[in-house]
Amino acid sequence: MNKQSLPYTIGFTFFISFLFVLFLSFAHHTTAPRVERNREVTRQRSILSALGVETSGPDQIQEAFREVKEIEREGITLFRLDDGETGVYAKEFIGSGVWGPIEGVLAVTGDLARTRGLEIVDQTETPGLGGRITEGWFKEQLRDLRIVEGTIRVAAPGEGDTDKENGKIDAITGATRTSERMGVIFKNELERIASALGVEL
Amino acid sequence: MSSPKEIMRENLWTNNPIFMQILGICSALAVTNLMINTLIMTLGVVFVTAMSNLTVSLMKSLIPRKVRMIVQTLIIAFYVIIVDILLRAYLPDISRALGPYVGLIITNCIIMGRAEAFAQSNPPVLSLWDGVTSGMGYMGVLMTIAFVRELLGFGTVLGFPVLPSGFEPWIIMVTPPSAFFLLGIIIWIGKTIMNKEGATA
Amino acid sequence: MNAETLLNPFSLFFASIITSNILLSNFLGMCSFIAISKDSSSSNGLGMAVTVVLTVTTAINWLILHHVLIPLDLVYLRFIVFIVSIAAVVQMLEMIIDRVSQALYLNLGIFLPLITVNCAILGVSLFMEIRQYTLLQSVIYGLGSGLGWWLAIMLLSAIRKKTEKSKVSPALQGPGLTMITIGFMAMAFIGFSGMLAVQ
Repeated sequence: MNKQSLPYTIGFTFFISFLFVLFLSFAHHTTAPRVERNREVTRQRSILSALGVETSGPDQIQEAFREVKEIEREGITLFRLDDGETGVYAKEFIGSGVWGPIEGVLAVTGDLARTRGLEIVDQTETPGLGGRITEGWFKEQLRDLRIVEGTIRVAAPGEGDTDKENGKIDAITGATRTSERMGVIFKNELERIASALGVEL
Repeated sequence: MSSPKEIMRENLWTNNPIFMQILGICSALAVTNLMINTLIMTLGVVFVTAMSNLTVSLMKSLIPRKVRMIVQTLIIAFYVIIVDILLRAYLPDISRALGPYVGLIITNCIIMGRAEAFAQSNPPVLSLWDGVTSGMGYMGVLMTIAFVRELLGFGTVLGFPVLPSGFEPWIIMVTPPSAFFLLGIIIWIGKTIMNKEGATA
Repeated sequence: MNAETLLNPFSLFFASIITSNILLSNFLGMCSFIAISKDSSSSNGLGMAVTVVLTVTTAINWLILHHVLIPLDLVYLRFIVFIVSIAAVVQMLEMIIDRVSQALYLNLGIFLPLITVNCAILGVSLFMEIRQYTLLQSVIYGLGSGLGWWLAIMLLSAIRKKTEKSKVSPALQGPGLTMITIGFMAMAFIGFSGMLAVQ
């Protein structure tokens, strides 16, 4: 058979594409439940981490997540963890970054006196600059930070603000715009959580 | 025809795809700020280069000349999608960190280059070996860059802190320009050694 | 969810040209960048071709992604589909340019075959997908990235013309020195970060 003929060329191309796509869809569908579970575990881990619960391993995460109650108020979904006092509430957010959406979870105490923690789920900021919002030192600034005048102030760039009472965090060196966007996200999300909980900021 | 040993020496050193041919750096320099990401990414490249070389070599007599390039691209894309599906299912965190760069393995010129230059005219097993060693040569250089960037940028090696706590991380190592500088320096060192070898031989 | 994620098109455009230059901060399109930047008139032609192809393919891939792949739940096939559509667009552009203007073909057309394997093209399509851009944002991002690439290759070819004649260690000559030069360019481009607060 002539391997350079037009019918062979077309037939071959179709056949090989068909074969590949068949195999790929098989691989995709067999792994789909696993991918779905990974997504769920990742989401739960982020919420737990914002709520200040340390976890490791998928089983422990699912176990710990049973303590978390999903509640809906005023059309806003919150995740509540009982701490014996006012409760801690986490809210998932999607805000606008410099390059694309920044997805994360912000957790606060029930009386909105303090933040409990921040977790960044997904972002596409510049690696090494705005991308550093995922680093521990940046997120750690939001751990039990007092909320002053209903907002979290993003101050001048620095190496991380350790004072938990002043209601401000340091911006990231060289990533002024990403830091500003984070400030906007905090403000919007705090307002939303306040209205959902019916608490004055 | 060259022996497996010669092929290895050539691909790992004298004809190293990166510092002799400056090929295929696009898809991988961006992930060299952490060693673990680089490791997974370059393992993906080794896998794709090896398997697509093997496949092209097995099918070389069947592929019509007119569609040779597009069929090769299809083969490469097929293996890249497999890598992507596997990462999503089994290493979700790394899959997220690598983001679009997994897909960019397709346009890694090394893979296409080896398929054209070697697999087209050599038996399957030797082609597989050629693919593995080319990928390893690539991996070696990128892991070196990642090692320096992670060590100086974060003070860690594969995520384990190794430098004393007083160490001040070099911000530049986290940002893109450092990858260019390091690659330039590696090419410089590599060529100096090679020129000496050439002079004594 | 898109209410808040709308980026200012103006800042997206300038950021994709300068501070987040596809080449200098995402390392995309390096292969042809290093090879072609030896010669400034080829650099110009290739830069132009990359800009045109980037703008067109990003838009087409956006349409394919949102009107074919997502409705059919075939997003996992996007790598194959994107690369094939890029190859097709490049081929078509080559034919059109060949028929329309011989002069343009000589300036631009001859670089088109090089472009299918240029990682910047596929890269922009993948970034467009992962950052969930709208069609308008995708086109702006594609155009901006292309212009940024063009600018970077023109600048580098100008610098290389000078450095070619300077005396450096033989081992550093060529690719080594070029990489270090690109490193300095990348630093300069990123240095504009503070200036671009146009929002």
